[in-house]
Amino acid sequence: MSETLPQSVQTEAPATAMDRRSFLRTGLGGALFLGTVSVTAGLSGCASAPAGRDYPMPEAMDQSYEFRFLTRDDIVLFKALLPAMVGPGLAEEQVVRRQQIQATIERIDAGIHQFGPANQKELRGLFDLLNFGLTRVTVARVWSSWENVSPETAHAFLERWRTSGIGLFNNGYIALTKVSNVAFYGHPDHWHLSGYPGPPGFAVDSLPQFKDNA
Amino acid sequence: MSLTDRIARGLEAGWKVTDGATLTHNQTHEADVVVIGTGAGGGTTAEILARAGLSVILVEEGRLYYQKDFKMNELDAYASLYQEGMSRVTKDGAIAVLQGRCVGGSTTVNWTSSFRTPDPTLNHWASRFGLDDLSPDAMRLWFDGREERHNIEPWVTDPNVNNDILRQGCEALGWSWEVIPRNVKGCWNLGYCGVGCPTNAKQGALTTTIPGALDNNARLFHGLRADKLVMKQDRIDHLQASAMAADGVTPSGITVELKAKHFVVAASAIGSPGLLLRSDIPDPHNRIGKRTFLHPVNATIAEMPDTVDPYYGAPQSIYSDEFNFSRGVDGPAGFKLEVPPLHPAMSAGVVPGHGEQQVSDLSKLPRMNSVIALLRDGFHPDSPGGTVSLRDDGSPVLDYPVTDYLWAGLKDAFYKMAEIQFAAGAKQVRLMHLDSPWYTTWADTKAGIDKLTMAPHRVRLFTAHQMGGCGMGNNPEESVVNGFGEHHQVTNLSIHDASVFPTSIGANPQLSVYALAARNSTRLAQKLRS
Repeated sequence: MSETLPQSVQTEAPATAMDRRSFLRTGLGGALFLGTVSVTAGLSGCASAPAGRDYPMPEAMDQSYEFRFLTRDDIVLFKALLPAMVGPGLAEEQVVRRQQIQATIERIDAGIHQFGPANQKELRGLFDLLNFGLTRVTVARVWSSWENVSPETAHAFLERWRTSGIGLFNNGYIALTKVSNVAFYGHPDHWHLSGYPGPPGFAVDSLPQFKDNA
Repeated sequence: MSLTDRIARGLEAGWKVTDGATLTHNQTHEADVVVIGTGAGGGTTAEILARAGLSVILVEEGRLYYQKDFKMNELDAYASLYQEGMSRVTKDGAIAVLQGRCVGGSTTVNWTSSFRTPDPTLNHWASRFGLDDLSPDAMRLWFDGREERHNIEPWVTDPNVNNDILRQGCEALGWSWEVIPRNVKGCWNLGYCGVGCPTNAKQGALTTTIPGALDNNARLFHGLRADKLVMKQDRIDHLQASAMAADGVTPSGITVELKAKHFVVAASAIGSPGLLLRSDIPDPHNRIGKRTFLHPVNATIAEMPDTVDPYYGAPQSIYSDEFNFSRGVDGPAGFKLEVPPLHPAMSAGVVPGHGEQQVSDLSKLPRMNSVIALLRDGFHPDSPGGTVSLRDDGSPVLDYPVTDYLWAGLKDAFYKMAEIQFAAGAKQVRLMHLDSPWYTTWADTKAGIDKLTMAPHRVRLFTAHQMGGCGMGNNPEESVVNGFGEHHQVTNLSIHDASVFPTSIGANPQLSVYALAARNSTRLAQKLRS
């Protein structure tokens, strides 16, 4: 990641005399920094309420899922990230592909709901940082808004955060990939990608908990 | 089905079990003892006290899940059975914390490895913390008793291939290995211990001590969060608790007050210090939450030439202590070597990566082996552990800085794990590190590890063992409880979980918790009945 953060970000740091990288490496610095962004994002019109049933997937066949954590902006963010995140794991066929992306984003939301308030707050800070135009450009170095970001650009962003010498960005990379990878590869629809055959058939056939719901 | 399942049968027979989500009005209950937490420590305590004729109320923040819910499904299990929906991490996010949050606690989701507390650990506690009463000789009968209670025996079936790779590698290198004792009865060798045992073979708290307590008239509240122990003068008067909604994470607004003569806290090495801190329990020497240990874990994965099927079979059956205590109990960081089971969601979360590389890495799953190293923390001055504190919302968080001493141990472990995998015939090996490529030879791996940046986040770190934070010792200036788990300052408070360990264990801790809780609960029952 960048050796020099742009001026606009520097001015938000309360301790400008400190070396910027060491500032960002500290948890406290990170928390203050993300906190600043969250407040700014809220004031600048970034969506901050969960999307509920109102989310930008007009093409979706099934609109029944109710989002409890992800905002409309977060959904747009993951729609842009997932093609880079799970890449060739997605189907070629557009309708299937869109359904896979939608279902994965819904599982990400359901998973984060169970994370509880403390980690939700951490993720809110991260997603706001990525969604808020100023920090998206200066910190993530993604120039266009997420709805116009190509998989190649999203991949380059993920690579910058993975290879960065700044722990905070590595941590952001891990957070984004972990929630996405678990929600995607963990689902039976995508077990074939890992070659996982599923629970042993003889056990499923003989255990009572699988009969009751049959 | 209800006739074959211990929990379903008990519920039908009228066990006193209350789901917090069903409560519609605030209420007060009273018992001789309130036990907070239903894991290894709380379950053992509740059963022993209830059998002794004391009235017991058990409090569990997580929900009651049992055989009907255990469908070998990772995503559902991680969301419902684990702390923070499996997202718990240390304060800076660098160590992922795998910890149970359900009736039975971590024993409901652990991989069944059941070791006695190693002799060098008990001897170190005696010499360093004045805990002479916990010598190996004195503890033997408690380990014997708990091994019987939880059906703990070395695994007699052949190890699965994933574990056998650890055995083969050690064998080829002339390093020691042993068979792991497991707490199972009639195990089907399926491989799903981590998502709730689907066959009731696992003899964790859920199928042993919790039913034992409920059979003896104990009452269980689940979906009820212990908020605060409220003192009246120098004693605890009651526990203030909040009911959770059916989703398990949202407080419903209903509160419950639980009064008792005595309170036993067994809410884990993160939860117990958290509860004590929220309660402003007297802490004249500022010890609550200090010296919290994790057995920090790093890992390597290998692509083997043949099928491994690392998702099937008893998840842990072979271990190596070659590097655990060999350089002295308080020498360079020692570590225990084991293997983890690899199911797709877990693997996708543990193997760092995205895009084409990630698809390619995960496609190797059927031929994948992984080795993990569990570092023995807390024995050396440069390994003081972490500190539990409270967030603004009152929830506990663990700050665990990884010291240079531990980084050196983690680096050493990377060498040893990769060497084992190549010695067992691995085609290629990858370190769980953001910078690691796949290495095709041991020489290349060695050169790669030489240059590796050992830094938070870049090295992927995990823990499934949380210990300390309410350490025991004879000196109140450096401990929270004495060797019987009795609080130094508050006379009607005991702590019966892994939080009392003054160092880490150096082995998977469940049997250490069972044994110490059994010993201390037997004494507590005698005291309370006299």
